[in-house]
Amino acid sequence: MSEPQFEQSNMQHRPACGASKPDLNRIRGIIAEHDGQKWPLIPVLQKIQDDIGFIPPESITILAEAFHMFPAEVQGVITFYEQLYMVPRGRKVVRVCRGTACHVRGGKSILKLVKQNLGLEEGQTTPDMEYTLETVACIGVCALAPNLVIGKETYGNMNPKKVSQLFVKQTGSGESGGQS
Amino acid sequence: MVETITITLNGREVSGYSGMTVLELARESGVDIPTLCHHQHLAPYGACRICLVEDEKSGALLASCVTPIGPGMVINTASPRVLERRSMIVRLMLASHPDSCVVCDKGNRCELRQIAADLGIGLAGLERVYSPAIIQEVNPFMERDLSKCILCAKCIRADHDMVVEGVIDYMDRGFGARPSTLADVALEQSECTFCGTCISVCPTGALMEKNRVYSGSTAKAVDTTCPFCGCGCTITLEIKDNRIVRAVPFNGRVPSNNGRSPFIGVAGHGPPEAGVASAHVPGREVNKGTICVRGSYGYEAVQSPGRLQRPLVRKDGDSAFEEASWEEALEAVAAGLNGAIGAGGPQSVAVLGSTKCTNEENYILQRFARTVLGTNNIDNGSRLSSAGTRVGLGWTLGTPGSTGCLEELEISDVIMVIGANPSESAPAVAYAIKRAVKQRGAKLLLVDPRMTKLRPFAHLWLRPRAGTDLSLVSGMARVIIAEGLQDDEFVTRRTDNYADYKASLAPFSPEDVEKATGVAGADLVEAARTFAGAERGSIVCGNGITQYVNGTATAMALANLAMLTGNIGPHGGDIVALQRDNNGQGAADMGALPGFLPGFNSVQDPEARSKFEAAWGMDIGENGTGGLPDWVGDTALEMIGKAQEGRLKAMYVVGENPALSFPGKEAVKAALASLDFLVVQDIFLTETAKLAHVVLPAAGPFEKEGTFTNLEGRVQYVRKAVDAPGESLPDSEIVMRLAARMGSPIVYTPTQIMNEIEDLVPLYEDPCETEIARPGGVGGGQFPGTDRRGRRFAVERSRRLHKGQFPSAFDRFHPVHAEDSPGSNPGPCQPDGGGGGLLLLAGTGLYRSGNGSTTSRSRRLKAIEPESYIELNESDMVALGISSGDMVKVISTNGEVAARARIAGTLEAGTVFMPISFPESPANALFGIELDSRSKLPALKACSVRLERIGS
Repeated sequence: MSEPQFEQSNMQHRPACGASKPDLNRIRGIIAEHDGQKWPLIPVLQKIQDDIGFIPPESITILAEAFHMFPAEVQGVITFYEQLYMVPRGRKVVRVCRGTACHVRGGKSILKLVKQNLGLEEGQTTPDMEYTLETVACIGVCALAPNLVIGKETYGNMNPKKVSQLFVKQTGSGESGGQS
Repeated sequence: MVETITITLNGREVSGYSGMTVLELARESGVDIPTLCHHQHLAPYGACRICLVEDEKSGALLASCVTPIGPGMVINTASPRVLERRSMIVRLMLASHPDSCVVCDKGNRCELRQIAADLGIGLAGLERVYSPAIIQEVNPFMERDLSKCILCAKCIRADHDMVVEGVIDYMDRGFGARPSTLADVALEQSECTFCGTCISVCPTGALMEKNRVYSGSTAKAVDTTCPFCGCGCTITLEIKDNRIVRAVPFNGRVPSNNGRSPFIGVAGHGPPEAGVASAHVPGREVNKGTICVRGSYGYEAVQSPGRLQRPLVRKDGDSAFEEASWEEALEAVAAGLNGAIGAGGPQSVAVLGSTKCTNEENYILQRFARTVLGTNNIDNGSRLSSAGTRVGLGWTLGTPGSTGCLEELEISDVIMVIGANPSESAPAVAYAIKRAVKQRGAKLLLVDPRMTKLRPFAHLWLRPRAGTDLSLVSGMARVIIAEGLQDDEFVTRRTDNYADYKASLAPFSPEDVEKATGVAGADLVEAARTFAGAERGSIVCGNGITQYVNGTATAMALANLAMLTGNIGPHGGDIVALQRDNNGQGAADMGALPGFLPGFNSVQDPEARSKFEAAWGMDIGENGTGGLPDWVGDTALEMIGKAQEGRLKAMYVVGENPALSFPGKEAVKAALASLDFLVVQDIFLTETAKLAHVVLPAAGPFEKEGTFTNLEGRVQYVRKAVDAPGESLPDSEIVMRLAARMGSPIVYTPTQIMNEIEDLVPLYEDPCETEIARPGGVGGGQFPGTDRRGRRFAVERSRRLHKGQFPSAFDRFHPVHAEDSPGSNPGPCQPDGGGGGLLLLAGTGLYRSGNGSTTSRSRRLKAIEPESYIELNESDMVALGISSGDMVKVISTNGEVAARARIAGTLEAGTVFMPISFPESPANALFGIELDSRSKLPALKACSVRLERIGS
């Protein structure tokens, strides 16, 4: 029998195996920062993801105990939201638009080039944890199509040359930034 | 003030109360609206949209289960638009549902299929979008096939709001959404307890009992009382071809009731304003739609091939058993018992009544013992578990058992669980506690040396050393008095002996208690303040306090604490004393006790004796000869002692297994084997039966009529579901035949016996529930699960609840002393530090009940836990060179048993835990016979052991 379909479609939600040990004390600290706040779960999850880059599966039981919830409930919230992840992601998330406007102006080719440049398929992360590649349906700046977004920065009117420059430059800055 | 609202429903004017939903009012008015996601014990959810109705004024289609009624509403439940939309929703469900109806074991129980049929839907007529998510589970209990899931969330809500385990919730969203465990592991790898509640609420074949054989539709369903622990849950047995194929929680639709407020009694909605009376009318049964793994699958044991079919007799002395006719067998029993009485008088025979048999059977049995054998040597198996609370609470409060019911427990704002692990020993109690915490914000004070499954729900967890609960409880009382937190009015008006009690608490300062128990003084003070601050502070206690030599004293200390804080009676909390067996309370109430006639009438009270002598038509000769014996008989363990000394000649053991469940196994076996005559009446050839001269085959709990009394004191019907195998007979029938054979006939019809109990046992009178049908109408139309004092129980509260006054006007503080506390006398309850000595705690496991005589014979319960285990702390494992999965020999000064080692994070270093319910490795064999002087209950909770690794 073939694997159930959801195993494929939601890979990004699955707990990562062999991920480096997350800093659980940092998670406890974040929980303490939100002490007394009403409905704290989602703000805490966002903060954990901002700080650590993803929500370590180990944090689920800690969150459940702190907020008097069942672990399965916390997992339900995390897996419900597209913005929350339980696997480590690259420091920069590259989102290539595959909306209608971008598509008619060559978005498909832009995606192919980005894949070649990063050596990634959709949903994957570079081994150095620098980039994660995703696609989005539309980012709302169709006038500049084709578009892509790196981190919080939007890049419009993309063409092959710009794509390759973009990643040389980005990679360079990432290394010189000395982030580990 | 409840406002009446009138709406027009299908052209007819009907009235309901504000807050009621359209669905509830429609059902009350006899208009059926189909639903898939609605359940009487769950809060309305509005997920499936099947229940939509049309508001004719606005033209809106509303989900009736979540739409409150409003004045002047005009509702049509079956307009063409409603039917068209409802059909479309069902067709959409069917479009993603597999075509496996023919081979799906849900069969005609499938609600989706029923609704489709009612709407006349054949083929979906839509493009099929199959969900390929098929998950096969390897556990022995249930199968999840999520391709049949319609996302009604009933299983998730049952898990969160009814049994409060929190094992599953939705995962992912959109097309990927599905109920899932944490990290999406299979159920057997999750925290799932396989209670079966989710299966019983699932409207489709997504969740089903694992049945290799397709059983199809069942012909008959019988509502009865579950026999696998003291909770007394109401279950429905589905019968086919005289075999039980399924046991499910009773889920009958509750008859309409005036004054019912819709949300009260339903998970998560509002406190009951007017106390218990109005709070729980929907579903008065103990379990409220829940069940546990033993209730769901334990029935298999009763149908196991090992059941006794015919009487067995040893023809001469020590020869092997031979099958015999009832005539021959009863003749042999009569001869054996008469021989013993002839040789040693009535004092030399003893009878053990059963905590698994019905009230009527125990009543007849004790009459047999007292009138036919002329002996008061009669006891029952609750001597080994709940005698401590029965005696302790009886002496202080005058109530031989729990003072309240689970409905009240659930509305308590502080619950102290001490020496009890209800999650495993009494699941329905644990469900109620967890609901109180989760849904009502009750504070749980957990007192246990082990980290039990209630830990995540606890406001405060105190971890005293084993056997030091008495110091802890007395310490709490001392803090309460020192801080002036006691309920002065209650203490003054309802109790006496307060001054003595107060003085007796002097040696229990927080520092002393910390020294004795290991619980930090600050935690003790916090616990005391929390409990004293409660509006309703309830206490749940179990074998973790009673099975120590000071168990009765600890029970009295708890009663003192409850009195001190005013938590006795209608306006306070309750003490809920757990019962290990289904009818431990009833067996004692019925007088299967050496010192008491039915209803706790002392055998030494001439008035009580003459009342029963008259009722039983005894001829009293001159000088009072021929009357009931007036001497106090022997308790269970004392019988064994007398047998060892040769002073007891014969024993008649009904439905108990002392060779397995009593401490000092080898000595007990030797004592039983040394008897001149031993007759055992049981459903299996138990360890005790193997030692007997005659074995009488009895009917099991699903094969006879009668009543059980649960741990609350509720008397509930037991109904016959299937025929007993072979020639086996109900225990009452056997005893009556035996009495006739011995020349003193006891003749009762089921109705006569119930009437006599009502007349003679003050606790069981039943003046106002005469409309409830008598047994005989099996599975009849009456509301099952009702206690025979039904309305009194729910409205005025039962006998146990002190209607304003205590039975003897006052309740008495019973000072307990420090010398009762093993804290000052370490004895067997402390790990001995050096020498590799460990402290063994013995208790009930989830998958077996009692000593396992019955439940170990259930195929599926056995499959999940095939062998006994011993839980160890990681550091002890390392120190002893034992790894998880190794076989170890557990050795105490009294015996040794083998078990498989398991790592457990729930224990402190130096402490190990072993379940008592595995007949192959009976933990009780590790204990010697050491009795609580007050209740004569043997210490069975903690002893010192060492471990030897014997293999992997």
